Amino acid sequence: MSDPIIHINNVGKSYKLKHLLGTSKDDMFIHSLKNWTKNLFSRSQADEEFWALQNISFDIQKGDRVGIIGRNGAGKSTLLKILSRIVAPTTGRIEYDGRMASLLEVGTGFHGDLSGRENIYLNGSILGMSRKEINARFDEIVAFSEVEKFLDTPVKRYSSGMYVRLAFAVAAHLDPEILIVDEVLAVGDAAFQKKCLGKMREISGQGKTILFVSHNMAAIQNLCNKSLVLKNGQVDFSINDTNQAIRHFIKESIVLGKTQLRKRTDREGELQIKFDGICLVDKNGVEVNGIKSGEEINFVIETKVEAKKINNVGIAITIYSDEGIEMMTLANHIADKPFETVSEDNKLFCNIKKFPLTKGDYVANLSMYKDGILQDYIKEGFSFTVYEGDFYGSGKILPGHKPSVLIDHQWKIK
Amino acid sequence: MLCLKTIIDSRSASFLDIKEILRFKDLLWNLSKRDVLIRYKQTFIGVLWAVIRPLINILIFGLIAQFIERSASLSDKFITVSAGVVLWTMISTAINDISNSMVANSNILTKVYFPKIIIPLSSLTVCLIDFFISFIILLVLRIFYLGLPGFEILLAPLFVIYAMLFSFSIGLFFAALNIKFRDVKFVIPVLVQIGFYVCPIFLSLEFYLDKLPENLEPIFLLNPLVNIIEGFKYSFLGEPMTVPIIYMYASLGITFLFLFISVRYFVKFEKTFADFV
Repeated sequence: MSDPIIHINNVGKSYKLKHLLGTSKDDMFIHSLKNWTKNLFSRSQADEEFWALQNISFDIQKGDRVGIIGRNGAGKSTLLKILSRIVAPTTGRIEYDGRMASLLEVGTGFHGDLSGRENIYLNGSILGMSRKEINARFDEIVAFSEVEKFLDTPVKRYSSGMYVRLAFAVAAHLDPEILIVDEVLAVGDAAFQKKCLGKMREISGQGKTILFVSHNMAAIQNLCNKSLVLKNGQVDFSINDTNQAIRHFIKESIVLGKTQLRKRTDREGELQIKFDGICLVDKNGVEVNGIKSGEEINFVIETKVEAKKINNVGIAITIYSDEGIEMMTLANHIADKPFETVSEDNKLFCNIKKFPLTKGDYVANLSMYKDGILQDYIKEGFSFTVYEGDFYGSGKILPGHKPSVLIDHQWKIK
Repeated sequence: MLCLKTIIDSRSASFLDIKEILRFKDLLWNLSKRDVLIRYKQTFIGVLWAVIRPLINILIFGLIAQFIERSASLSDKFITVSAGVVLWTMISTAINDISNSMVANSNILTKVYFPKIIIPLSSLTVCLIDFFISFIILLVLRIFYLGLPGFEILLAPLFVIYAMLFSFSIGLFFAALNIKFRDVKFVIPVLVQIGFYVCPIFLSLEFYLDKLPENLEPIFLLNPLVNIIEGFKYSFLGEPMTVPIIYMYASLGITFLFLFISVRYFVKFEKTFADFV
């Protein structure tokens, strides 16, 4: 094996958490004054250390397209920021060879009052291109962005699609040896996303090295030949074949979904009312582990309520396939209306007459609202398995293994 | 063995990496250009404002000055005060803009790598461009009122460079401090205002020396700003300088010391900027 183009050795990043939240009235001066007086009497550390990344070591070979996978807060963005030299690591060392360019957002430094032409030069130089390089690639950039006609219009008058196209066009013509990309493909319409992916494949085809972070597993599968999984700031699955890494990641989130809901602490929202339990109950009232396609099923939710009862409660269950594709959302306040009052004795039922998903593993994000204000949100709070079932009552089953949606429908010939 | 060129670790640099800054000179230029361009976008008379603004500034201060001190000849006084005001405007704007530059550009700072000192440098460049226009106006007024300047005028660029060094040294320190403590944005205007009154911009140097107790005089004269302003006025009017030359050198030394401390401070914390901003 040849020498790596990027060598990452034991990289870590820690942040000091200032405990200001409880005493939000205090400003920094009072806070440091208090700290100072406290330290006079005791040696205790008032600020807590938080390691966003720890013990990260891996090598990347020239020409590899590496995907970085992990849920929110796993440290993906921190790692990219360290690699792009925006923030410095607390420990460890990275060595790399050649020119590196990073795209952590499209259109960094774009100014609305400047024309498209002026922004190409500004953005290009922010991304590290010299004037000469921009001049040489100017026509290509313009052609790729498809905004020739509006080159001298201030970009604040651009449609958001045009804006993104121009921004990506500049970035796509950077021509570095190593390219770092973070989620930029989340913007723009489908056709443009396809074009971006195509451009990135083209870049990687020229023997360039790419590091790519995305929540879109399909995009990672499509682009990257190798991937690694980060979890809680550490390497959870070291750099390997992309499909293996994705499988590992999905398995992890399904395990997480099976952990008891009331033990989850990674919640968002006001928490006046929160999820305490969720289970599946079939039409006979028996709790089950899985669902058959086409079966009648109930999602049954138990809650924990801070006051005696809470009014006007909305609940949403958003179901994702194990590839991270959103399949559907069950929401009482959309499909019907919010529950008028909810107390802890209540069980909340969501009944589905014919369950419409094909076999596979699914994960659900759970959210709860009071008067439209988020009370509790748990990412991947629930997971379940769907088994093959005779949805259509025809005795036949839709072929294929990809998760998909089944719909009742009739065929006719006239 | 492949030569691995770039190394990232937690150690901070000890001083400026000049080669790296030069690599990003186009960025410096484009950022400065952006700041100049956006100022006159969507205005009716556009770049004319670049001339009108300093002209109004000069006229207001120059005319008021004539009412305050009647000793000197009117046109002399007008040009002296104008020269002081023009240079002071550059210094104060530069200190203010440079101090706020890092925070104002935080959106770029947290997304892309480049030597951070490019940002305060571009603010300084913008102030210099503005100053250049004012300088031309000033020169025209000088020729109109008092005829062609003497050879002293060739010294003017030196004092302008001195002024830039001083404003940059002060601004750079506050630019770095501003990232952690936004208090800076309240402190700077106060400092600038004090600066205006302790320097012989509006009133003549003699006026200050008359009023000051004798033992405070050296401290007053060690102020780099006093030397910069007096020197610039001298280069414009050719009247012999009241400040002994020894103070000029001493204050220049002080400025370089400031600059050294500021750059060290800035470079030391450069790597942590994106964490705090």
